[in-house]
Amino acid sequence: MEVTLTHYLVLATLLFLTGMTGFVVRRNAIVMLMCVELMLCAVNIVFVAFSRLHGDGGGHVFVLMNFAVAAAEAAIGLAILVEIFRRRRTVDVDDLKALME
Amino acid sequence: METILFWLCGALMVLGGVMTVTQRSAVISAVWLIFAFVCAAGIFAILDAPFVAIMQVLVYVGAIMVLFLFVIMMLQGPVLDNEKRRLLKLPLWPAVAIPPVAVLVLVGGWIRRTGTRDFGGTVPEGFGQPAAVAELLLGRYLLAFELVSIVLLVAIVGALAIGKEARKLPWK
Repeated sequence: MEVTLTHYLVLATLLFLTGMTGFVVRRNAIVMLMCVELMLCAVNIVFVAFSRLHGDGGGHVFVLMNFAVAAAEAAIGLAILVEIFRRRRTVDVDDLKALME
Repeated sequence: METILFWLCGALMVLGGVMTVTQRSAVISAVWLIFAFVCAAGIFAILDAPFVAIMQVLVYVGAIMVLFLFVIMMLQGPVLDNEKRRLLKLPLWPAVAIPPVAVLVLVGGWIRRTGTRDFGGTVPEGFGQPAAVAELLLGRYLLAFELVSIVLLVAIVGALAIGKEARKLPWK
């Protein structure tokens, strides 16, 4: 069976859903951030697949933009986590509900 | 050849994603995520995007995931998550499961109705090569390129502001 655009879209959907479920289910903030990276990566696959469909390199450019966004997100998110850990000695999100109580 | 590579990279990437979510140790999760990203680079290579594939390995695996592993090392927290409290509380699970299942059902119905769509045609000469991407990046998408540089600058300043003690910041 030949691999079509649909195959790539379904693959990206599966990865996105995996990342989404992981983000909601896991309680470790570092793993939650990693799940966000997985979701961003799934989006990149869609960009590249449609770029290939139209024969236009615009999708590749926006994948590079997405890399920059992912890097910024990781840098800020991890900086916040390090600061939280320094104050509360935990990165378990169930322990971090000071605003909720 | 393309078909075999797609199924290989795709299956391994989904495996990497699932293992990332299910592993108890954050370090092992990170290593599985690196594995998934390398497979993603393979997918990009199959899709005629060699430059993006190289950048995927350089940026994601080489920079972002190393940053993650470095932070895990630096925090020196418990190696394994607490088994009892690792996951969401059980009564909330149906609420978590409904959206993914709904999306999968919708996608399945869409494929059944419209069939699969082929890529069709061939790509232009030099498609996805560094030269072609650079021409777009510094031509048609110059404004987006500059805006993304501002995003990165703000991220650097923000990370610095969060990481340093407030009274030591240069503008205080």
